[in-house]
Amino acid sequence: MPNSNVNIISVIESKLKDKVQIQPGQLGTAAIATTNGLHREVIQTLLDADEKTAITSITGLDLGANLGLLYHIRTSNAFVTIRAEVPRESPKIQTITDIMPGAVFHELEVADLFGIVFEGHPSPGHFVLSDNWPEGVYPLRKDVNPYDVKLNPSKDVITQPSDGKQVKIVLGPQHPALLEPEKFVVTVDGETVTRVDPRVGYVHRGIEKATESRTFLQDVYLVERICGICNSIHACSFVETVEKILKIEVPQRAKYLRVIALELNRLHSHLLTLGHAGLEIGYETLFQYFWRDREPIMDLIELTSGNRVYSSLMTVGGVRRDIKEEDIPKIKATLTDLRKKLPFYRQVYEDEPSLKMRMKNVGVLKREDAIKLSVVGPVARGSGYDIDVRKDEPYEAYGEIPFKEIVYTQGDTWARMNVRMDEVEESINIIEYAIDNLPPGPFRVKAPRVVPAGEAVNRVEAPRGELFYYVKSNGTAMPERVKVRTPTYANIPAFLKTAIGESIADVPSNFVSLDPCFSCTDR
Amino acid sequence: MTNTVTWARVKSPWVLHFNSGACNGCDIEIVALLTPKYDVERFGVKLEPSPRHADVLLVTGAVTKQCEERLKRVYDQMPQPKFVVAIGACACSGGVFAGCYNVAGGVDKVIPVTAYIPGCPPRPEAIMDGVVKLLNALNPPKPKKQPKGEKKAEPLKNEAESEASKAETVPVPEVKPVVEEAKVVAKQ
Repeated sequence: MPNSNVNIISVIESKLKDKVQIQPGQLGTAAIATTNGLHREVIQTLLDADEKTAITSITGLDLGANLGLLYHIRTSNAFVTIRAEVPRESPKIQTITDIMPGAVFHELEVADLFGIVFEGHPSPGHFVLSDNWPEGVYPLRKDVNPYDVKLNPSKDVITQPSDGKQVKIVLGPQHPALLEPEKFVVTVDGETVTRVDPRVGYVHRGIEKATESRTFLQDVYLVERICGICNSIHACSFVETVEKILKIEVPQRAKYLRVIALELNRLHSHLLTLGHAGLEIGYETLFQYFWRDREPIMDLIELTSGNRVYSSLMTVGGVRRDIKEEDIPKIKATLTDLRKKLPFYRQVYEDEPSLKMRMKNVGVLKREDAIKLSVVGPVARGSGYDIDVRKDEPYEAYGEIPFKEIVYTQGDTWARMNVRMDEVEESINIIEYAIDNLPPGPFRVKAPRVVPAGEAVNRVEAPRGELFYYVKSNGTAMPERVKVRTPTYANIPAFLKTAIGESIADVPSNFVSLDPCFSCTDR
Repeated sequence: MTNTVTWARVKSPWVLHFNSGACNGCDIEIVALLTPKYDVERFGVKLEPSPRHADVLLVTGAVTKQCEERLKRVYDQMPQPKFVVAIGACACSGGVFAGCYNVAGGVDKVIPVTAYIPGCPPRPEAIMDGVVKLLNALNPPKPKKQPKGEKKAEPLKNEAESEASKAETVPVPEVKPVVEEAKVVAKQ
């Protein structure tokens, strides 16, 4: 019987003691070094032991003669990294998608960027890189010079399904409903969706490679620009990972200031999505209302950090700016104003019949599917899958601040939007608590610019869900490898699953309830 | 007739937004422009989903290699005369992403750009200022009202480099000096 209080490490020890090497405390709860093919056995053991076992990410590494693979697996109370290696000449490894369907896109990404072949993968092909990418060039391998990459001429061919009954509808790359250029080929039979083929990668810039040629300090500002919406959380997660390698403790005041910045970010991101959802279901007034109320939050971000969008507040060792005493009343007044407006929005979601018709029972994701597909954030919490990194593995000051974890069980678009609505209120509470209990003292400690050799993983709760960072340093001022797994990347499978069997008209409302952010997804 | 067309265009420019590889920072600021606080619709600016009906193309983000062709195609679909505004540091030059393996560069590497609005991201006021200046440039004040010697036409920085620009008949000479001003104001 799956048990959430199980000690994962002792389970693996008892079952696979002679075959694998367990390194407690490394890369999460423990790192488990495996040899040929055993990674599947370890993952199967984890799946049997804990019902909430899900995959966070797969990291590829260039280790010279070998290529490394790190499978990052989360369970209800642990975070485990499984190491595997494959020879560079014939980089082949067995897929895990049959036992863990959530790993499909993670494997595609590693295959694209490192050229590792996953034997038995259900849909091999380009995913992050374009279809006309030159063959045999794997950009994240160390021997590839980014300036030398030249694309082949492209062929843009859409073939219609052969039976004549079904029709393919192409959404994107330039589409009014998508702010970002991505392509979704939706196959419909009458009005019912029968198949969705995602094609991401239009915003793929190669940021992971770019971090390797910049210093740690420059990288803080580069990773911040992975996403223009949840920028603070990217910078925060990166500096936390570097601080783990450096083994420096951030002053208490800095932790609280970071929490304030992160929650302001969450507020503006959730308000944006709640409004955007209104736009997608044809309720434009709601969109205008939410965005009107989002503007004061943008002003607060500007007030506390100096910038409207990119706060650039995080730095290794703390934050770059303190909060001014005279600004605190203004911050509190703005938050109180926003809190007063929330009952109106709640009422709209509860009572407005047209909104309920477009959102209730649309895109229902069951709890077991949510776990199987390893979804994160409000999408998971809307389906009763209670994961929130702020609660599960408190970082910064979240361990000391009281707040509720919002969970809805319906699993539809309406539940996902309501998770965000309730989180807006929780975020207001968190900021108010943090301001009232702001500890005195310094807000920054000096950190060395050269980071000693080492590696670390870090998870934080971005507005869209669990955000994962892996940083490896080789003892210089520049990182050897930075891996980012963004929440939307983990949530796309949920859309592919829930869209099938529903009406084509429900696609936008279902899709926007994931709060998709493709600049994050593609990096 | 020309006067009427210019009048109509200046009073009601329809803009198309294309994200060619942006981080969402500039895109969200463009959407914010349409919302109550900034409300560009009062200048007659309307966000138009189809390139075939648009007068102005707002491009955000460094152009990724995968988007390059699509951007060209969107530009080609727009009717003449058309104007391109590069919004944000990445669209102007590639920004922090210049030199990444999947980035082709700024927008002017692919299509001719009429106005540049730098910033990371530019504030909504800066975007508004840039677009309004572009519109004013289409309908310049009578020559006698202009102070002498101040406005000097010089070729756009990247016009010669861009292949596509050779085929264009965009009336740029009036626009150029104003673009320079837009840059200065937007930096503040």
